[in-house]
Amino acid sequence: MSTDQSPPRAVRLPLRRPSRGRWVGGVCAGLALHLGVSVVVVRAVLVLLLPFAGAGALLYVWFWVTVPAGDPMQAAAAERPAALSRLAPRLTDPGRRIPLTDIGLGLVLLGGAALLVAVRAGVQVDYTWVIPTLILVVGAALAWSQLDSVQRGRFLSHAGGRTPVSVLRLAGGIALVGVGLLLLLGQDAPLESLVRSASAALAVLVGAALVLAPWWLRLVNELGDERAARARESERADIAAHLHDSVLQTLALVRARADQPDEVARLARAQERELRAWLYDDRPTPGTSLAAELREVVAEVEDAHAVPVETVVVGDTVPDAATSALLQATREALLNAVRHGRPPVSLYLEVGDGTAEVFVRDRGEGFDLDAVPDDRFGVRESILGRVRRRGGTASVTSRPDRGTEVHLCLPVASGAEAAAGTAGEHVGTDVEEEAPR
Amino acid sequence: MSESPIDVVLVDDHLMFRAGVRASLDDGVRVVGEADDVDAAVTLVRALQPPVVVLDVHLPGGMGGGGAEVISACADLLQGTRFLALSVSDAAEDVVAVIRAGARGYVTKAITGPDLSDAVRRVAGGDAVFSPRLAGFVLDAFGAAAGDVAIADDELDRLSAREREVMRLIARGYSYREVASELFISIKTVETHVSAVLRKLQLSSRHELTRWAAARRLL
Repeated sequence: MSTDQSPPRAVRLPLRRPSRGRWVGGVCAGLALHLGVSVVVVRAVLVLLLPFAGAGALLYVWFWVTVPAGDPMQAAAAERPAALSRLAPRLTDPGRRIPLTDIGLGLVLLGGAALLVAVRAGVQVDYTWVIPTLILVVGAALAWSQLDSVQRGRFLSHAGGRTPVSVLRLAGGIALVGVGLLLLLGQDAPLESLVRSASAALAVLVGAALVLAPWWLRLVNELGDERAARARESERADIAAHLHDSVLQTLALVRARADQPDEVARLARAQERELRAWLYDDRPTPGTSLAAELREVVAEVEDAHAVPVETVVVGDTVPDAATSALLQATREALLNAVRHGRPPVSLYLEVGDGTAEVFVRDRGEGFDLDAVPDDRFGVRESILGRVRRRGGTASVTSRPDRGTEVHLCLPVASGAEAAAGTAGEHVGTDVEEEAPR
Repeated sequence: MSESPIDVVLVDDHLMFRAGVRASLDDGVRVVGEADDVDAAVTLVRALQPPVVVLDVHLPGGMGGGGAEVISACADLLQGTRFLALSVSDAAEDVVAVIRAGARGYVTKAITGPDLSDAVRRVAGGDAVFSPRLAGFVLDAFGAAAGDVAIADDELDRLSAREREVMRLIARGYSYREVASELFISIKTVETHVSAVLRKLQLSSRHELTRWAAARRLL
């Protein structure tokens, strides 16, 4: 029994702040993708949490600061083992960026203007509070701002932020926060009460922790990232080597058989398929994907007969005994199509709610099923019979102007049931006897 | 075709491939310019404003967005200039990215010369070009296989029953003409359905679209 194979839909994306669909920092959008709920729900929950001592805003800021920006999908892809990932670089999404710095600057200026207007209007402003608070906020912002810049200038500040800029940031942040705290706490005449100095010391410590936290977070993040990147690089090098070997060998074979066009076409097609899979597809873990098994069947047929098969797959499921029978029947239908029909040959697999459907189509003259003698087992037994015995339906439609289409439909356990139920016992359990042809 | 040929700009980073495409196109299509990376493509398309741009999904340059980036950069020209994506990659994420950026169709590089010329004409005429594989992606992305079918026509996040039927037939390798005769509707109606599906693919904010792309990648 293998219950660890999760169905395709249950994949959880890592928590990132995507640039697409963000309003402010991309926290809600990222959370929504991570949890698999609508972004509206996340936003509503955070807003509803606001009255509780501003928990919503605090949570938001916390996530904003600790969750790295990036595309969750790309992050998920980066977490896959390189041997199963595609080699071609993924397209990046330029996305739209909100000019946060500009907005922040505008807000500060607006606040300043409002303050001046208020003073003019005769409002008494207690500067002993305003200025220290301002200094404190600026200091904290300066220190925390390095978290985001890490993502941008990864190469500038390598391991742990020991470059002048980040040291400067850190020192400046600490100094400003220290000054702010001192001003805040020492604004009245110095009281020699023990409580006060203790609280001052505590406040300084908290301030320092506040400043140091992003630095520490970044250190931990970068270390892990770098280790993973190095491992990935070496895996990639292995794959590239393998790839080049196989291509070179095929080219040598092609040159040696240059006088046999069929053979050259077959070799080229096989190499093309392999290269395409390596470059552009992410490969599923073996034994978890009906689509992957179908592609193997198609590859086998293509190689044996040098006829390309246009394959389209919609949905996927974990293979079991029933789908194994379906695959066998599909294979026979494909062989039939490439032998007796005319290309192009199309293959369509759709795994839906509880059923798997296969269409195999060629553009040949077609044939009359009733005219096929009873002793010819090919179509009747190995294709139609195999599926019908499993409780499915099968039919052959043949029209002179539109070729022949074999339609197979079989009930299958779908999604999670298949993963939990029959996944472990599918190998070689097709007990039907091979139909003679 | 007796009409004047359709001007096409060809964008691909491989010289050999561009030469091959140019040679395989028929008289109804004329290549007026070529570009080999994102920035050159954007400049050229803006300068020439051709009716059709045939472009590869993977292109060097720019910000790494490939063909989708070219289309996004020319988004204001989409009324007059149509984009047809031509790719060696069958990966769903690449294809969906260019379609969502605004491309009117997607064909693989294995396509024959006459078929490509037809595709260019169809795109120039304002129709959408769906290869079987793209139809498969659409069915997958909209969860149509699971029987998730729209009730109202203007729903952006689901396919209508008819659109699903059309997509299924295209995925099974039927040409538009064959789809029309199979469903007893006119070719024009088929084209309308296909264009509607393309619009949904481009505009739908269905969050499963992104989730689906991720699931395909992670399976």
